[in-house]
Amino acid sequence: MFNPLLELARLLQDTPLRLELSQSTWSVPIIGAIHVLAIAWFGGSVLVDDPQNDNVLRRFRWIGLSILLFTGALLFCSQPLRLYYSQFFRLKMLLMVLIGASALFPTRQGRLAMVLSLALWAGVILASRGIAYR
Amino acid sequence: MPLENSWLFPVIESIHVIGLAAFAGTVVLGDLSTLGLVRAETRSLTRWTHSGLALMLITGALMFFSDTARYLHNPAFHVKIALLVAALIVHFALRRSGTRLAAFLSLTLWTTVVLAARAIADFDV
Repeated sequence: MFNPLLELARLLQDTPLRLELSQSTWSVPIIGAIHVLAIAWFGGSVLVDDPQNDNVLRRFRWIGLSILLFTGALLFCSQPLRLYYSQFFRLKMLLMVLIGASALFPTRQGRLAMVLSLALWAGVILASRGIAYR
Repeated sequence: MPLENSWLFPVIESIHVIGLAAFAGTVVLGDLSTLGLVRAETRSLTRWTHSGLALMLITGALMFFSDTARYLHNPAFHVKIALLVAALIVHFALRRSGTRLAAFLSLTLWTTVVLAARAIADFDV
């Protein structure tokens, strides 16, 4: 059966970028460190109360998220097949899809939405840590 | 069974990172707003800052005592603790003043604490 996600992982596995990343001593630790720094950056900007929907703050949030996604994509490229088969990586991706879907609903004001969003992000972090183990 | 090999360790690690997002995230935002780079009402964030810090200190201590030998022999851990002490001093003694220097110091110190922390896994002997 044709599995597009597995094919994508196989394709990335054979790229020079994967070789470069997985053979270099410092690339993955440094990219991983930037990924963690971006968690702090993004986490703070999500927690801050923003009733006026301030532009600067919104840009700040998007920059944090972009750094997270970019370094995350690079980390994925460093070991695509292993991550494809990792149960915790799958859980993390599922939770991120849920976060993305919840962002599509424009009216998500209120305490419940905030609690739900924070719980999803906490779940993402828990799943991420699990990837290192399984 | 040592904590290192149980499912508890990754859970504690995760709570440590969740604490990081709450603590360092709100500190960075406060510092950047002191430096005039972001406009944010950060006073309402103190609760997040302090609960994040408490969470980090508790889970950090748990991890340390789960395998003291591992951490005491890890050069990255030594660097992290030295930077952490400096960062905490800046946080509680200088940052209140609201000066740009304090904000700059706080930003750079916490950044290097995170970098050194991440490196602990790379310097295991």
